[in-house]
Order: sequence, then C-alpha cells, then structure tokens
Amino acid sequence: MKTPARRLAEKVQSIQESNVFNIRSGELPTWCPGCGYFGIHFGINNALQRLGLDHHQVVIVSGIGCAGRYPFFSNTYGHHTVHGRSLPVAQGVKLGNPNLTVLAVGGDGDGLGIGGGHFPHAARRNFDINYVLFDNSIYGLTKGQPSPSTPKGFKTKASPEGTVDQPLNATLLALSYGATFVARLFAGDPEGITTALMAGIRHKGFSFFHVYTSCVTFDKQFKTWNNLTNRVRPLPAGYDPADRRRAIERVLVDDDSLGIFYQEPPKGKE
Amino acid sequence: MNRIDLTIEICGLSGDGTIAAGGLLNEAMSRAGFSALAFDSYPAEIRGFGRCVTRSRFGFDRQIALENQTNLLISLDDEQSLSRLPFLAADAVVLFDNHPPSPVAEGKSIAGHARPAMSLFGAPFRDLAAAASGSAKGRNLAALGVLAGLLNLPVDAFRERIGKKFKSKGEKVAAGNIRSFDAGLEYVLKTYPDRLRPLPVPAAPAGQAEKVLWSGNVAIGEGALAAGLKNYFGYPITPATPIMEYLAARLPAKGGRVLQVEDEISAIGAVLGSFYTGARAMTATSGPGFALMTELITQAVSAESPAVIVDAQRGGPSTGLPTKTEQSDLLAAVFGGPGDTPRIVIAPTDVTECYHLTARAFPLAEKYQTPVIVLTDFYLDNRVENIERPSISADAVADALLKPAPDQAGSYHRYQVTPSGISPRALPGTPGFQHNITGLEHDERGVPDFSPGNHQKMSDKRDRKIQGALADLDPPEEYGDPGPLDVGVVAWGSTFGSALDAVQSARDQGLKVGCLKITALFPYHEDRIQAFMDRSKTILIPELNHSGQLNTLIGHLGRGRIVRLNQSTGIPLYPSTILGKIHELIGEDRS
Amino acid sequence: MSAPKFIIIGNGPAGLEAAITLKEKAPDARLTIISRDPHESYRPKLLPDYIAGQIDRSALMARPFSWYDQIGARLRVGQTAVRLDLHAREVLLDHHERLAFDGLILAVGGQPRIPEPYWVFRDLMLPLKTMADADQWIDRLKDVDDVLIVGGDLTGFAVVRALLALNKKVRFVFGEEALWPTRPTPEIFRQAADRLIRRGVEVVPGKLRRIVRETDGALAVTTTEAQTSAGLVGAFFGLAPDVAFLAESGLAIERGVLVDEHLYAGFPGVYAAGDCAQVYHPQIRDYWVSIGYENARALGRIAALNLAGGLERVNVAAESIFDDDGIRVNTSWWMEFGS
Repeated sequence: MKTPARRLAEKVQSIQESNVFNIRSGELPTWCPGCGYFGIHFGINNALQRLGLDHHQVVIVSGIGCAGRYPFFSNTYGHHTVHGRSLPVAQGVKLGNPNLTVLAVGGDGDGLGIGGGHFPHAARRNFDINYVLFDNSIYGLTKGQPSPSTPKGFKTKASPEGTVDQPLNATLLALSYGATFVARLFAGDPEGITTALMAGIRHKGFSFFHVYTSCVTFDKQFKTWNNLTNRVRPLPAGYDPADRRRAIERVLVDDDSLGIFYQEPPKGKE
Repeated sequence: MNRIDLTIEICGLSGDGTIAAGGLLNEAMSRAGFSALAFDSYPAEIRGFGRCVTRSRFGFDRQIALENQTNLLISLDDEQSLSRLPFLAADAVVLFDNHPPSPVAEGKSIAGHARPAMSLFGAPFRDLAAAASGSAKGRNLAALGVLAGLLNLPVDAFRERIGKKFKSKGEKVAAGNIRSFDAGLEYVLKTYPDRLRPLPVPAAPAGQAEKVLWSGNVAIGEGALAAGLKNYFGYPITPATPIMEYLAARLPAKGGRVLQVEDEISAIGAVLGSFYTGARAMTATSGPGFALMTELITQAVSAESPAVIVDAQRGGPSTGLPTKTEQSDLLAAVFGGPGDTPRIVIAPTDVTECYHLTARAFPLAEKYQTPVIVLTDFYLDNRVENIERPSISADAVADALLKPAPDQAGSYHRYQVTPSGISPRALPGTPGFQHNITGLEHDERGVPDFSPGNHQKMSDKRDRKIQGALADLDPPEEYGDPGPLDVGVVAWGSTFGSALDAVQSARDQGLKVGCLKITALFPYHEDRIQAFMDRSKTILIPELNHSGQLNTLIGHLGRGRIVRLNQSTGIPLYPSTILGKIHELIGEDRS
Repeated sequence: MSAPKFIIIGNGPAGLEAAITLKEKAPDARLTIISRDPHESYRPKLLPDYIAGQIDRSALMARPFSWYDQIGARLRVGQTAVRLDLHAREVLLDHHERLAFDGLILAVGGQPRIPEPYWVFRDLMLPLKTMADADQWIDRLKDVDDVLIVGGDLTGFAVVRALLALNKKVRFVFGEEALWPTRPTPEIFRQAADRLIRRGVEVVPGKLRRIVRETDGALAVTTTEAQTSAGLVGAFFGLAPDVAFLAESGLAIERGVLVDEHLYAGFPGVYAAGDCAQVYHPQIRDYWVSIGYENARALGRIAALNLAGGLERVNVAAESIFDDDGIRVNTSWWMEFGS
C-alpha cells in the first residue's frame, strides 16, 4: 500500500514528465490559495502539451475578472482585452491567422453577464476557436457579488436578502445557441478537462467548455469544493454526444453530469 | 468659354426612380466632361417619409461644394417637390409631369406654387414613357430626356449609361428605357423649340485621365482595398453601412473576409484581434456605434494595438439625426474614453482624400501601433464626386510593422521604452517572442504594474509615440493670399470644400482672405496652424456642430481672434453662409 | 364666408387692367391670373419698336412679377387653360390642375389670324403677336434684307415702320385684305397706299396666291397680279379670338365669347373682355369686336368693375384713333367681324 507521501511523489514525477510547467510563464498566478482556477490551468496546460502544440502557435484571449488574468500565467501569446470581449477578439485573431490555436477564457460574469451578447454569435458563427468558461457563479475580483449563474438565495453584500433571479445554465445556452462542441467539466477533475480540451481543440468549429469551479474566498454557501465534489459525476456510459436534442433534454434536468454533451459529427467530404 | 455653375435637383417619391435618375444624370454629365458633386438628401420630417431628393452641382472646374440654391428641379412627384420650392433659385427651371393620370385639385401641382420668375416646363413623363416602352415606369428616364433636350446635353452619353444600367434586366428593358429617354427628348424639342436653353459642353482635353464617379464611402472602400485590407468587421449603421456592402462585394475575391457581427463592440474587438496577428482589419461606424467602441479603442491605446476605424459622423447626440450630417464627434474621436489615450485622428475633406487617408491609415496604425480614426461625415460619405481615379503607391501602404531583432528571442519586451516610443512588435506565431498585451497598465514586458514610476513612464511613452506620428501626417494646406489676411478660414472635413469655395468667391471680390485645410486633427501641426493664424487679423472656424469642437481643440492658437461659425441644422454648411460671415467680419472691421 | 376667388385668364392689356381694377374694387378677393406667356405682362403695342431695336426688352414690360406679389395676386405664367367647367365652376389647366373660381374674367386675347386660303402657307409666314414672335423676327432679320408684308392690319403698319427703320427693303401686298377688319373706303385705301409708297415701300398689287421656298431659302411669292420674292414674309390678318378651349363650356361662342354690354357672359360671375370678347351693341342689336390696346384695357376694367358688383356699360361712343404717320384708322368699334 502506497503511503500518501509516496503517492504525492509519484504525482509530482508524472507532472514533471508531462512538461506541463513548460507552458507556464514566469508569472505566479494571482489566484487565492485553493482556487479552482489552478485545476483548470493545469487541465488546459496539459491538453496543450499533450496535443504537442507549439506555444508560439497558441493565442489565449481573455476578458476581465480573476480568469481574465489567465494569459499572464501562460507562455503562449496572450491578449488580455476588456471586460466581456474575449470572444470578438478571439474571432478576429482566428480570422487574422487561421494557423493559430485560439482559446478564449473568462469567468461567468465576463461571459454570461457583460459579454453575454457575443456568446450566441460566436457559437453560431462556428469559427474554430475554443471558449473555456470558468463558472464559479460569482464576481470574485470585485469581492463577491452575485453573477448571472448564481443560484437563487445567495447572500452577498450586494444581495443581502439573497438573490432572486433565475441563474443561467451555460451548457444549455451553448447547446441552444448551436455550438458544435459542448462539454461540462469540473475544476476538481483536471484530467477530465484535459481530455475534453484535447477533443475540443481538435474539433473544427466553436468548442465550448463549461467548467464548474469554486470561489474559495467568497462563496461559502453554494459552489464550495464539498458541494461540487459531492454533486458531480460522469455522463452515463454509452451516452451518445451526437444528438443535440437529447443533450438539451438531459441538461434541462441534469445539472451534475460531466463530459462531452454534444459534438457535431464531422460532415462528409464535400 | 462661359463658366457653368448648375445645380440640378430631382425629387420624387420612392418608386419614382429618383435616385436612379440622379445617378444616371451624374454618370452622363461626368461622361460628357462636366465636373460633378452630388449629394442625395433625405428630409427629416416624418411627413416626408419616402421622399427622395438628389442634388448635383455641375461645372467645368472641379466642384468642391454644393450651394444652397438649386437652378433646375425635376419633379417626379409634385407633392414631394413642393417642399423643395424654398431651395430653388428665383429664376429656377422646373420640369414636371403635366399630365397626371387624372386632373389634380388646385395646389397639388407644382405649377401652382412655382414663382412666376421660374420657368416651368411641363412634359407628360408618364405618357411618354408608356407610349415608348409600354410602361410608365420609365417616367424618370423620359424626364431625363426632357432635361437633355432642354439643355442640349450629350444624349449619347445618356443612352449609353441607360443601356448599361439596365442591361442586367434584359435587352428589352434597356431598349425600352432608352426609348423613354428619347421620347422625352423629342417632346421637349418639339414642344419648346423657342425656349431651349443649350448649355455649353466642356471640350474634353486630350489625354484626360479616367474619371470615376465615387461616393466618399466607395473611396473609403477602395482605399482600404488598395491598402490590402484582409478583414472587415461591421455592424449596420447609417451612414457607414455602404462601406460594408461595398467591401462585401469585393473583398472575398481578394481573399479577405467581411463579417457583419453582432454589435460595434464585437466589430472593434475583432479588428483588434485581426491586427494583433498582423492582418489588416477595419471597421466603419457612426456616432452611436463609435461610442460603443470607445472602451476597446482605449484598450488599443494602452495595449498599443493597431486598428483602423472610420467614424462616419451623423447628427447627434445619441441616435440623433441618423440621416443628417454633422461634425460633432471630433472631440469624442480625439479624447473619447477613460484615461489619457492619445491616438491618431485624420479627417478627409473630399472623396479623393477619403481614398488616400483611408489607405494611409493602415501603415500609420501599424507603425504607431495605435487606433487610427478616419473621421468622415454623412455629407462626405454620401456625396458623389467625379474624380480622376486615385491610386496610391505600394510604398505608401507597405507593411509598416517594426519587428523585433531575432536575437531578442527569449528576452523580448513587448513594451520596450524607446526614444520614439515605438516598441518592436512580434506577431503571434513567432517562436520565442510570446508575450501578453493588455489594457492594464503594464511594464515593458507587458506584465501588470501599477507603480507610480511605471505609469508615468508608460504614459510618457504613449504620448511621445503619437506626437511623433506628426512626421507622417499631412501638414495643413494653405489657400489664398500668402500675405496678411483680413480673414483666415480654418476648416476640416466636409466643411472645408464650402470654406474654400467661399474664400475663392471672396478673393474674386478682391478681399484679402485665405483658407487652411486641416486633415491631421490629432496629433495636429501646431506650428503650421499657428503661423496661418498669426497672419490672419480674424480667424473664422466654420463647423457643422454647436459647440465649435475644432475651436476647442486648437482655439488656443488663435490668441483670442477666433470667430466661430457653427450650424446645428443637419444640412451642409453652404459656401454662401461662410461667405456671408466673411463679409460680415470684414465689414465690421472696416467700420 | 371666405373671400371670393377670382380668376383672370389672360395677362395681356385686358387681363392686367382687370387685375388692377379688381384689387382696387375687391381688395379681399383671392386673385389668380393665368398667363400662357411664360414671362411678365408686356405692352404688345411696343413690339414693333422692340423689333426695330428702339427699345430694349425691359421697356416692354408692363408689370414686374414682384407687382403681383405686392397686390397679393397669384400669377401663373406659362400655363394654359384648356377647359372651362361652368357646372363645377372650375378651370382645367393644360397640366391637369383644376382651379375653382367664384368669378372669372376671360381675357385670353386672340391668335394671329391666317385666312383660310393661306393656311397651307402658314409655316412660311411670320406673324407678330407674342414676345416669342418678336424674338423670332429679330432673329430672322439678321440674315434677311427684304421683307414682304401680306394682309396689313394695324400691327402690320407698325412693323413696316420698324422694318424701314432697320433699312430693310419692304414690299407690301396691299390688296383687299389690308386694313382688316375694317372695310376702308377706296379713298382711305388709296391714301394709305400712297403713304406706303412715299415711305419707300414697294406696293405689290393683287391678292396673295402662292408662296414657295426656293432652294436658296428665299421665298417666291405670287399674287393674282404679280410675282415677287422676299427673305421673309410677314402675315398681318388681324387676330382671331382664342376661344377654342371654351367650345364645350356652354358659353355662347360665335367667333369670340358673346357678352352683353356689361361684358357678362351669361353665367354668374363670368365675364369676357378684350380681343376674345364679342360685345352686344344694344342700339344696332348686334355683336361687335374691338381691337387695339386701349380698347382692351377699357374692357378689362369694365369686366372687373362688374365682377366686383358694378353694372357698368361699355361706352360704345368711345373713339380711339390709330394714327400711324398719316394712316389714320378708327379702332374703337368694328362692325364687321371675320373675312
């Protein structure tokens, strides 16, 4: 039986062998200790490494928020744009140089709130870009206000009586917007993120990754590590991601399954 | 040779073929060797919904402005045309349909309203077209025939343009339309043989360069194409939409893309994204859309991203007067947005400059890594001028990207502070030069840094860089007397043509006046402007805005001798208005 | 009740005088004047002087456009009445616009009359009625040295004088059609011919038979008694009332509009004056026409006075003498009408 120390040592070794740190920049992430974004960072980096992409061929575009700082921590090209506008910029980058691998990253406030108007159009336009939504259901950088995906009843300084609005379901939105690749993931499952990212980056079209994550500093009520860890589970074995209608039906009643919900099958050669 | 100065107006209801007739008139007159400046206008009042008016000024010399009075009106719909009567010259000629399908009540015909000193020429436009082509649809062409006969215009030029225009609708339609034109021609020659007013036709100088009939918007599109535009992003907005439509028909064939996106924010965002990879991109908008772009424009200033933005101004504020002209976005273009955000703002004054300044905006944006705002206005975008086909050398639009030295791989600093303020820029895809660009204040590496010294240093760098761009911007041009001036007129944008026209008239009257054209609005050539103002006893700044925005920008150079002429009417500032002001100023001075 | 609406058709001497009078007697009325001529009202009497170059165009003008503004009248120039609907009380204009009226004065004047036998030559003859005619005379006289006059009404004599002043060679077919519509006594006729000859006019005897344009552009003219030629033939057979458009209106028309001695045309508020009117003479119980500028003005004034509520009679005793350097003709009333 392996001791915890032994397991840790093995893990460290495998991480080192993956060269995942090569894609990190010299900047230390500014996220709080225990933040779910570390897991996402790890998952993304792993996917880029495993795909063997040259770092200089990758552009990461971000908006504003804790997730907005993401490009500073990667040794790729990065475009830190303004609040909510990562998707327009990312599409411009892809049109400017189609050889680049383009990722847009951002939080739920950035992507569902201020930038929510761009999401459907990026999805229906179906450029080959990859959009990773870090959904911790809170405005963290401004110290804890409710976001568009915050569950009802969340008490903050800005919502002392608890929130009353219906939260947005980003996976459902992406499916209904016509995104051709939709996955729901969890920051506590970096391996799952890596697997889905690799499939999504290979997918020729708009790929959407809805990543559940936790704000350890400002959310002690809903999306805590414990709550999320206890809730999530993989999609059932044999789930067929080729059927958008089935995917939508499932997402309407299932908030907890993780995996690739929908991937448009490759079209026959023209 | 007589000097011709003829403003022709066609007015009708949508469906009358007003705009088509105006276009054909401009084309035929251009072909006949006249210089033309045309501007279609859309009256503001709701009652006038559906009313179309085309106005064209023709002459032998290059036309630089429209005047406020029309010499000849073709009425395709009398009820609509009644509104134009106040704009007709006292001795105007009015062509109208004198045989409406059934007799109209008193006052419904323009004949009952035309002043006696005007010359009425009735012709049965509908009947002539119907007899000639089987359909009254060609009444606009019959009207053109009447005009051509009355003025003895070169009819073959009309026939050729009509044939060409309707070729796509089939030989039968084209031939029928030419017959409608001929019917109008014959009618007027037969009916008014003793009232014809033959117009001298310019002799075509040998070896004359090819002339094109372009709107400002077409020239902007052509300028962008000449500069090798790769991607255009836009959102529909009057009066900039035709730029998108023009490019949509042409850019894909050149391997580029035109994308109509979900809003103006997306459009400017995509422009920044495309330019970030080195692919030239542009968007065009008007005031409300420009306001939406403001945040990303300031981000581009901070992140030092190239961008080309056309702001085709219209009446403001807010939604304002979408179909009217105004020069009221100047300060928004120069200063709009949070923080100190120096950027380049240039403003063409005519169609030819629309082409050149748009083309030049791309290398400027690249070299100075900054948004370049090309400031036009409705009157400039939608006017049509026949001009020698402009061209620009490959050098003038060559890639102006300053790349880092290869040996900087691994130690590259995107925002390296240099004496010029320009830092070498590496494009994504270049190995070893990975970096981040950001709208957060940043150090030379591009890493956020809010320290006092750094913010000062970076603010200095950005300002120095933009001021340095003056070397690549067209200096102001002086017109008129070289010596001391009683009135020196300083103008920009579409108002400049009117100002120059007024100054030329004033000089013909023996007045000591001059005019200064400013196309570089930011940064601006302070020394040159100062020198012109210093030799002007009074400085007149005519602008189509209420607050005198150019005066706000450069007025401090006038040492208290500036007089503003501002008009918030939504219609162009006409030369006669400016000339009147010059007279007033000189009169005051003399008394 | 709103102010009555009056229309005057015609802006010649009769129409203009009617307008002046109406503004004086019915200042509140809304007044529209319709003029076929596309220019200001002018003095037709002066056209020969204009042709002779003795006065310039501006001197011809009777009233500037601004005068109509001053009296608050709407002047429609270059517009022609093409139908009168007395039931609807509307005038239809040639451009299909209907004008309603409460009162109407017809002062449309006449058109140069070409006697029937000569219709086939009408394109080869130049009359003088309008400003446009005068301009054509001026234009044609630039290239022509000899002019033949046929007919010979009052205007014709004035034109002869103008041509002589221009040092043109003038020939005159001085036959029985001269001095129309008067029937001069042989004495007057002989006197007039003598006068012409003394002035240097070559009197061609006989009656016009034929005009032929030669290949060189000159006109070969044959009369019953002689053959001659001219660069230009002027036709002066008087005026025929220009009332064809009234044919279906219900008004009584003979050659002109038949009106009573008050110039009343038989329909409420409708009057006629000037060359277009045929006026009843209660003493001889027949209709008369007048010619001449002064007569037209007098009739215009009477029509307006009566439209404004008066009951004036045409003064049949009034006498006006046309005196063209010794050729004296009484122009006030002419018994005979037509040829």
